[in-house]
Amino acid sequence: MGSSAKKKKEKQKDFQKAKLKVGKAKGKPENFTDTSFKTKGITLTQQSLTLTAPSIQSQFTHHVSLLNSKSDAQRRDSLAHLTTHITSKPTSQPLPQPVSTLLPTLSPLILDASTNVRTQLLKLLRALPPADVEDHVVQLMPYIRAGMTHLAADIRVTAIEVLSWLVEIAGEAVVSCAGGWIKTLNCFLSVLGWHTEESSKWSANRAAFGKAGAKGRPMVKVLGVLAEFLHAGIGEDEDDEDVVMGGAEVESGYGSGDGGDGGFPIVQADVHMVPKTAQPYVYLNLFGSPRDEEGEMYETREERFRVFKSRFLVAVERGVESARQDGGEVGRASSSVSKVLKEARGVDWEG
Amino acid sequence: MVKRKLGALEKVEADLPNLQHKIRRDPKSYIEDFRAQHYQYESHREIFMAAPSATTETGLISLRELIDFLAHVADCYPTITKDFPQQLIDILTQHHLILQPELREKIVGSLVLLRKKELLDSATLLQTLFPILISTPSKTLRALLFQKILMDLRSSNAKTTNHKLNRTMQTVLFNMVTSDRTSSKGLWAIKLTRELWKRQIWTDAKAVEVMKEASLADNDKVVVGGVRFFLGGDKEREEMEDESSDEEAIDLGKVKHQVGINKKTRKKSRAVEKAKATVKRRERKKNQPHPLNFSALHLLHDPQGYAESLFSKHLQNTKSKLNLDQKLLVLQLVTRLVGLHKLHIMHLYSYFQKYLTPRQPSVTSFLASLAQASHDLVPPDDLEPLVQKIANEFVSEASASEVASAGLNAIREICVRQPLAMNETLLQDLVMYRKSKDKGVMMAGRGLLSLFREINPEMLKRRDRGKDASIGLRSGERKEKRFAEQEAGGIEGLELLEKWKEEERRKKRAEKGLASDAEDDEDEDDEEADWAAWNVEDDEDSDDSGDWVNVQSDVEIELSDSEDEKDGPPSKKAKSNDDTKAESKPEETAEAKFSKLATTRILTPADLAKLQELRTEAAVNALVPGSKGATRHRDDPLTAEEIEGLAALSAGKATREERIAHAKEGKTDRSEHKSVTAKRKERKEDQGKSTTNKEKARKKNFLMTLRKAKSKNKRSLVQTRAVLKAHQDRAKRGGRRGNVGAVA
Repeated sequence: MGSSAKKKKEKQKDFQKAKLKVGKAKGKPENFTDTSFKTKGITLTQQSLTLTAPSIQSQFTHHVSLLNSKSDAQRRDSLAHLTTHITSKPTSQPLPQPVSTLLPTLSPLILDASTNVRTQLLKLLRALPPADVEDHVVQLMPYIRAGMTHLAADIRVTAIEVLSWLVEIAGEAVVSCAGGWIKTLNCFLSVLGWHTEESSKWSANRAAFGKAGAKGRPMVKVLGVLAEFLHAGIGEDEDDEDVVMGGAEVESGYGSGDGGDGGFPIVQADVHMVPKTAQPYVYLNLFGSPRDEEGEMYETREERFRVFKSRFLVAVERGVESARQDGGEVGRASSSVSKVLKEARGVDWEG
Repeated sequence: MVKRKLGALEKVEADLPNLQHKIRRDPKSYIEDFRAQHYQYESHREIFMAAPSATTETGLISLRELIDFLAHVADCYPTITKDFPQQLIDILTQHHLILQPELREKIVGSLVLLRKKELLDSATLLQTLFPILISTPSKTLRALLFQKILMDLRSSNAKTTNHKLNRTMQTVLFNMVTSDRTSSKGLWAIKLTRELWKRQIWTDAKAVEVMKEASLADNDKVVVGGVRFFLGGDKEREEMEDESSDEEAIDLGKVKHQVGINKKTRKKSRAVEKAKATVKRRERKKNQPHPLNFSALHLLHDPQGYAESLFSKHLQNTKSKLNLDQKLLVLQLVTRLVGLHKLHIMHLYSYFQKYLTPRQPSVTSFLASLAQASHDLVPPDDLEPLVQKIANEFVSEASASEVASAGLNAIREICVRQPLAMNETLLQDLVMYRKSKDKGVMMAGRGLLSLFREINPEMLKRRDRGKDASIGLRSGERKEKRFAEQEAGGIEGLELLEKWKEEERRKKRAEKGLASDAEDDEDEDDEEADWAAWNVEDDEDSDDSGDWVNVQSDVEIELSDSEDEKDGPPSKKAKSNDDTKAESKPEETAEAKFSKLATTRILTPADLAKLQELRTEAAVNALVPGSKGATRHRDDPLTAEEIEGLAALSAGKATREERIAHAKEGKTDRSEHKSVTAKRKERKEDQGKSTTNKEKARKKNFLMTLRKAKSKNKRSLVQTRAVLKAHQDRAKRGGRRGNVGAVA
């Protein structure tokens, strides 16, 4: 019995209350950890002692480097900073860093996990001078395509938006760059689920895998961008007439007809001139790896339409038809695609 | 701490493993998702190919994860992924130098996975991995690649030998070794070949040829690798085989019993199935005929040429860069080849001349090599000066005892192989050392003496010859062997069979000792029956050849009968018209008898089986200590330790520590001292057995027993009686449950 009494006492000990006394310091709690330490001196490894604030130039560079930061918030803030900087400066002034150095750090952000970063990125992209972006479409396209087929629906939507912006500012470059036509169309079909007959039926399991995403009605948006894309690729060149000479030369050499500006003996001089684009001989593919059919450049509308007709026309028509039958907003969006298709056919008949 | 809530908008999902799982279950429904991921992979690959060395992690999903995913489900969509293996191969071969280590390993792993799924053939895989193995500077990658290559070769040879693949691989290795003899790349060929040799996947001459070329290389590491293979590869192989054969035995009965007792789960039933399968497989393996494996030294095509070129290239050549240890290895190989194949290399023996001094480092190895290099076809003129030199340099009163015993042992080993290398006066001098005070020298001297008592007692002084040798000499049984004289060969163990048969016959005769009158007729019948038995067995054998052993063992077939008169009654005679020839020859020597058994009779399969059995029995008996020492196998090397012999004995008294260590050697260390009961109890607990009732009673909590103990005092007499009665009753019955079964 003795042991039992002892045990009781021991148990009691755990619940004894410490007595508080006036004028004495309150006792430390049981789980208190002493974190104080002594040191002879404190050394700061890095210390900025400049009196002047960092220049705008260096701030810009600093924020560009922060785009690879691990923290979401940091990336977002840096993007915001860059955006305000670009938008606030007068348009005549060049960017502190050229677009060609900015894009390699910006483009991976299309696949960023954070929604805020991606929205901010879109804003920044829109702020970039369109003429500069046009030459770097080739580098941007793989990221966009990767985004379009991403498992996460939100990233797909962002990629579609980026593509929409890119088509808007440099439609011709998008559809004629290497791999820009077939591969991108493949991605479109994959996003819409139009690849096979079964999957394009209205009864097919549309949201097969992955979360549907927070932004509603991605289908409508995708259809809209598809229409824009197709229009840029195989639509009518309605801007042929009102484009100044330089642009016309780039877009379609012989489209400008026999309104040759040279002297009489030289008819259609621009065809024989060196093209004025940034990379005139890129189609020769002198330095890249050999391309297959999918990665090839399709530079003229005719070529593109031929490929489209042989590979995608059936699937797209089938898809559009089923989308039309869906009705509602999707149906309305599908009408824009079918309009482009009709247009393209019309041009083809003429040509 | 409250878990921080992620806003629904922030969360992004990219769950490739989940998708992979779903695709595995239902590939057809998820084809669109897979296609999307394939495009995703294509885009990422494009990004990667544009800048292979860039280390940008692209968002949620990296190329590595995509490759992993595709490799795992590629077999579900072969049409979509038909280019995938080739793309991986291209990435790896073009960029393996700058790839990130993780991605690199993932690609290698994925390729192997694709090989397992049969989307890639072995030859392509090996052709991809092997060049990288040779050229990559990364150690981890090399280790990984080596392991994968080995695994692939093993798995493709697992069921049946894949001759085609082996041949191409061996050709690749051979070309690698021969193309550039100065480079150390050949080491990989050696490593691979040795490993595969060890596992008995490559057992043919081509693999040996690779090693042969390696040992003739200019790079010293490669040379040593090749030479070591010949010296130790076969031993390694044997050890590996032993290891694999004595895996822990599975007690099937125990496993089944446990399943009967414990809870039945699917996992446990699977374990039983597995155990059954293992046992069955082992049984089958046991019954399989032993694979015929020749040692590497026997598979050489041209041992003479090989030994000569090894000798001239690495040993005689003054410009050879090998150090002494490496040279010794080469020398061991050369001398082993010489001894085994009885080769003759002109300058080999004169080469030894300069190394045979006691001051030469590792001279015992040289002595062992010399002994190894001598065989009965070496001209005695070549060996005699060497023996003389050893005797002069090593064996003298002035030299240390270890040196003397090593010299004597070396001379003995040479004389075992070529007795003619010894002359009479030298021998008689050397034999005197058996009277030395030092034990090592004494034993070595005795060894020499007993050797010559056997092989050529005439060279010894009369009083040294001993009884057996003297008698043998007088009867003319022991004669000096002439140079290059060969013994007539026979079938090993045939005399054992002969003896066994005789015994059997005697037994039989004893059995039917009464009915031995009508023997001749019976024998005729027997004869018929024998041939019939042979034929029947033959037919059966063609059905399943596993039953060779079951052939009726005492059935014999004779062709002629010019023998066996001394076996007593002519019980197995075939044709009586040949009887005139049959004469007993009691003076027939043993050899003649044995040869007759083989030449006059067709050995039935039963005979051969018995012969094998007797042979192994004899081999086992030879290994038992106490019986006359086991003879050395031809393939076994002679080591320096054997030459040093009993030198340890002559090293003076051991110190106290050494003696203690020696005494402790055999004993296992016991951690603590305990009573026998305690130990027994511990053992019982270890085996998972329960306690006895007595122990349970002893361990029972005191408070639980208290009440009963108290109440016992208060019982009335009647109660006590009832209790005692009940106890007695129980004891008769045999406990509370009773021995019901035992009574009935």
